[in-house]
Amino acid sequence: MTNNKILCNTGTVNLSIQDITDKIEKLEKAEEAKLKLTPDNAESGLAKLVLTLVELIRKLVEKQAMRRVDGGSLTEEEIERLGETLMKLEMKMEELKKHFNLTDRDLNINLGPLGDLM
Amino acid sequence: MDKIIYAILSVKEDPEKLMAQLNTMKGILEADLYIVSYEDISAVVSDINRSDLIADKTNALKFAELIENLAEQFTVIPVRFGSLVESSDRIKKMLERNYNKIQNNLLEIKNKVEFGLKVFCDPEKMKAEIKIKAEAEPLIESIKSKKKSIYTDYLLNKLKEHRFEEQLLAHVDCIILDITTHLKQLNPIQKFKKMVSATNIIDAVLLLEKDKKELCINVVNELQNKYPDLSFMLTGPWPPYNFVDINIK
Repeated sequence: MTNNKILCNTGTVNLSIQDITDKIEKLEKAEEAKLKLTPDNAESGLAKLVLTLVELIRKLVEKQAMRRVDGGSLTEEEIERLGETLMKLEMKMEELKKHFNLTDRDLNINLGPLGDLM
Repeated sequence: MDKIIYAILSVKEDPEKLMAQLNTMKGILEADLYIVSYEDISAVVSDINRSDLIADKTNALKFAELIENLAEQFTVIPVRFGSLVESSDRIKKMLERNYNKIQNNLLEIKNKVEFGLKVFCDPEKMKAEIKIKAEAEPLIESIKSKKKSIYTDYLLNKLKEHRFEEQLLAHVDCIILDITTHLKQLNPIQKFKKMVSATNIIDAVLLLEKDKKELCINVVNELQNKYPDLSFMLTGPWPPYNFVDINIK
């Protein structure tokens, strides 16, 4: 590169180190998030893929549900039922992760402009 | 022998100047540079064996430096690293097939350069401020009046998290709106990404006329004064990497 390309770098946040750390972390996450399917790990590789998709859908459902709750259109009974459903879904997801020895980090995927799933 | 393409540009105005500049530069693996043209548009290329092209730091920097040197003198469409074509004839056909798209894109970026603007925050500090706002919002009646159960408690916590995230995004949207208002005087073409990481809340690219660099620095300094808790980083000028909108066929 020709000259120094940073024209302006001001403020109180320590940019240089933090920015680099964030970028490295993101690259590491992207590397880890790749699905590595081999004959030896077909089951866990597939479980990772399926659970990532299930978790994505669960989060979307949860988000939509929160919008409805926040909108104030649900009755007391509906709120009670929704709370129960979402709680059980989350518990079931935890069970499945435990069963396949997966963590939140394993199920994380980058959704582009929407950011990371987790 | 394959051809690696570095950039596409129009040579209508000053073809001698381009040839003179190419004679002073070398491509990847020190190969000679030359152009393959169709009418008034040209691709800057050099010869290379496919197996010799390694995607390492040296080659990537060489590739970027070459595009940058060309962009200082001409309006160029930077081409992605590793774009190999089997022959000059195929490049010519590609230029012919995409002639209109290339011309339109060259027109959009004519005499313009790209600047990067990143905005960083102290995530803990920002979260603390937004959490106070989110928790200050009144609860909806159907939750407040409900007799407590583990399910409503669970939902209440989820609602707090949801409101916090919404507030955070709304806060970032307000900053973006303010940035665009400040930048309006420069008449840029701009693209924004939000919440790139915990610290990097805004990652923007701006396409501005070459002579607006100092004005842009002034605007960013103004924004910095307005938001002392955030950090603004302006980089550039870059070739218009983020404003190339062509899928070459």
